[in-house]
Amino acid sequence: MADASPTAVPLLQAEGVLLGCTAPDRDAAVRVAGQLLVDLGAVEPAYVDAMLEREALLSSFVGEGIAIPHGTDAARAFVRRPALTFLQFPDGLDWAGQPVHVAVGIAAAADEHVGIMSRLAQVLLDPDSLAVLRTTDDPQQVLDLLTD
Amino acid sequence: MPTIEGKDIRTVVVACEAGMGSSVLLTSQLSQRLGPHGVSVSHAPVNRLSDDTADLVLCHQGLAGRARQAAPGTVVVPFAMFMGDPAFDTIETAIRDGGSLDG
Repeated sequence: MADASPTAVPLLQAEGVLLGCTAPDRDAAVRVAGQLLVDLGAVEPAYVDAMLEREALLSSFVGEGIAIPHGTDAARAFVRRPALTFLQFPDGLDWAGQPVHVAVGIAAAADEHVGIMSRLAQVLLDPDSLAVLRTTDDPQQVLDLLTD
Repeated sequence: MPTIEGKDIRTVVVACEAGMGSSVLLTSQLSQRLGPHGVSVSHAPVNRLSDDTADLVLCHQGLAGRARQAAPGTVVVPFAMFMGDPAFDTIETAIRDGGSLDG
């Protein structure tokens, strides 16, 4: 799916990819993913609280060692521009009882990110790609797998 | 309790809390499975559902109660796992081979 404007900031950029992360627990990981969205200028700080709120309501674990923390419907108001962040936890992390190696933070106001989510949906079905996301130390490999 | 025949399902909506994460992911995967059978799949936040949204609602079991409140006349199929939940097979089978769904 093409961006509406050719000058639009990419949804996922190298600055949004953090490899080799560690975090004591899920909430800490969500805060890192959220703070990165703040640092990228994608969301207001209140969005991070909504991400934690959403996580407490229902885990964003989707399988295959991947979680996709994001805000609530109401928190769309705190989104300045759509963006994704990618955090890799090589040692794994306990995500509400499930092992997680990759957390993809999402900020979306509408459906701008459907294309990249479709790529992620494909990656979830491909063991080789999953292995790359879990272990690579090259951010470009992540971008190659998830963006056009 | 509402019920629907597989052959009458033309639209499916995947509902989640925000409608921006897991439902988007699942919509993409289910579109590939159900699209060939002439069924379109969309996604929505659970609070914005109504009986007019789609012929069938699919949502995480933790949100099924809210989905049924929002769309009381529509069959709501809950699932527990985003990958490989048997509910997805049940829906595809009903659409492809016929059969009724309720809930």
